[in-house]
Amino acid sequence: MSAPFTVSECASCGYVAYPPRILCPNCAANDWKRRLTDNGVVTEITVRRPVFKRRQLPWGNWLDQAETRLAVVQSDAGVRIVARVPEGVEIGDRVTLVAQASTAIALPGQVVEGRPVSAPVSDWPGRE
Amino acid sequence: MTVRAGEARIVGAGETEYVRHPAVERRTETFIAEAVVNALANAGIHRNDVDGFAVSSFSLAPDHAIDLTWKLGMTVRWVMEDTNGGASGMNMLQHAVRAIEAGDAETIVVASGDRIEKREFHLMTDRYNRVGRDYLAPLPLNGPNALFAFLTQRYARQHDLAREDFACVPISQRAWAGKNPGAVYRAPMSLEEYLDSVPIAPPLTRYDCVPIVSGGDAIVLTSDDKAKGLSGAGVRVRAYRALFNDENQDGDGVNTGFAKIRDDLWAAAEARPEDLDAAFVYDDYPVMVLAQAGDLGMIPGGDVKTYLHKTLLEENWPMNTSGGQLSAGQAGAAGGLHGLVEAVRQLRGEAGERQVERAELALATGYGMVLYSHGSSHCAAVLERVE
Repeated sequence: MSAPFTVSECASCGYVAYPPRILCPNCAANDWKRRLTDNGVVTEITVRRPVFKRRQLPWGNWLDQAETRLAVVQSDAGVRIVARVPEGVEIGDRVTLVAQASTAIALPGQVVEGRPVSAPVSDWPGRE
Repeated sequence: MTVRAGEARIVGAGETEYVRHPAVERRTETFIAEAVVNALANAGIHRNDVDGFAVSSFSLAPDHAIDLTWKLGMTVRWVMEDTNGGASGMNMLQHAVRAIEAGDAETIVVASGDRIEKREFHLMTDRYNRVGRDYLAPLPLNGPNALFAFLTQRYARQHDLAREDFACVPISQRAWAGKNPGAVYRAPMSLEEYLDSVPIAPPLTRYDCVPIVSGGDAIVLTSDDKAKGLSGAGVRVRAYRALFNDENQDGDGVNTGFAKIRDDLWAAAEARPEDLDAAFVYDDYPVMVLAQAGDLGMIPGGDVKTYLHKTLLEENWPMNTSGGQLSAGQAGAAGGLHGLVEAVRQLRGEAGERQVERAELALATGYGMVLYSHGSSHCAAVLERVE
């Protein structure tokens, strides 16, 4: 399941936080709103080869392991995001950030994917 | 520190062997216990004279510090458990020094250790904190290597470095490891061997990442009064400064909090970086050795390339003389004490074949606790030998 990617923005001072915090680091308020963050620029990329063929995540489900392309995306909202990116995305590319639920069961976390800006959502090969 | 300095002394250090595949009967608590026994023997202090105990471990649960005092038969007036990973050893050092200065305890053992193998390591890193568990592990991140690959790329851009430059850190530390019988990697490493090694998370290869081992480390502190009756030199903490979560993970991770404590640290120590005889900088990755050394003022003019090729590689300046975690191994939370143990050995003149001549003033650091993208915890101490 993919969804638009949002970050937390302090309703009091505008500080952008990702992942979310409790008190605003800047003004100490606890009043957050969601802010849509569509795009960003890839600043670093690496590839992680699987450590195990299958791995169990902390909440129990098993994940088949493949090579994962990981990137840091400097989002337009100003915060750096650690995201999964597909083959072909390189440093310097603009990507669209998309959120995916991190697991099959509901947990607060999510996986961020940086897709090529031009790629339509339905063509995403890793889509579940 | 300066007000009451001189009242606490580090009088002993000990380490277990570092083991890649420990036998089943060797558990986290037995590794820690062995390190404690070795450190007490080194100090010449009997277990019954210990009245304070601190420990750090990722795998001690469900036990805590108090369980270990029981299993080790120690009656203590002061007990502490630290959870700050790579910064835990230095953090416990500070608290132990303060406890002795305040008279809460007179003789404290600070210990850490883990029984950890590949599978446990990944279970541990997958749930390192809530954010790591919920936002990074499911990518999947597969441990911290990818994050430090990002930091390495960033630092390389800022300082115009290539893999041949970063190579100087593991290669020079490996040269020291050759003189440390306890190191996991001891054979000298050539540049070719480094460049051709197995890619882990480009640009990081096998020798940029610490070998995961099981083991334990410990140091013993006591009052200067009691230290007078012991043989061998003592080590005094001349200055200690720390900073945690200084930028809410908004920084770039390679311009670290150490820059913010640098001036204060050297002023309190009444010393300059060029006065150091050796340094023990937390080396989870080569890039972090450089970032810390630079931010603490050890790289003249910020010329990282010259520092790498001349100071570290050519002159083999005493940086992480055990071989560091990169060659000796990282025994989980004991990585946070590893540098301190080696610093104490050097300053007490007990480093054997790798003993640095005239080792009187040293720096030790702790770094770590990735919250999302990079480490959040910075601890540094200037240590001096006292007779």
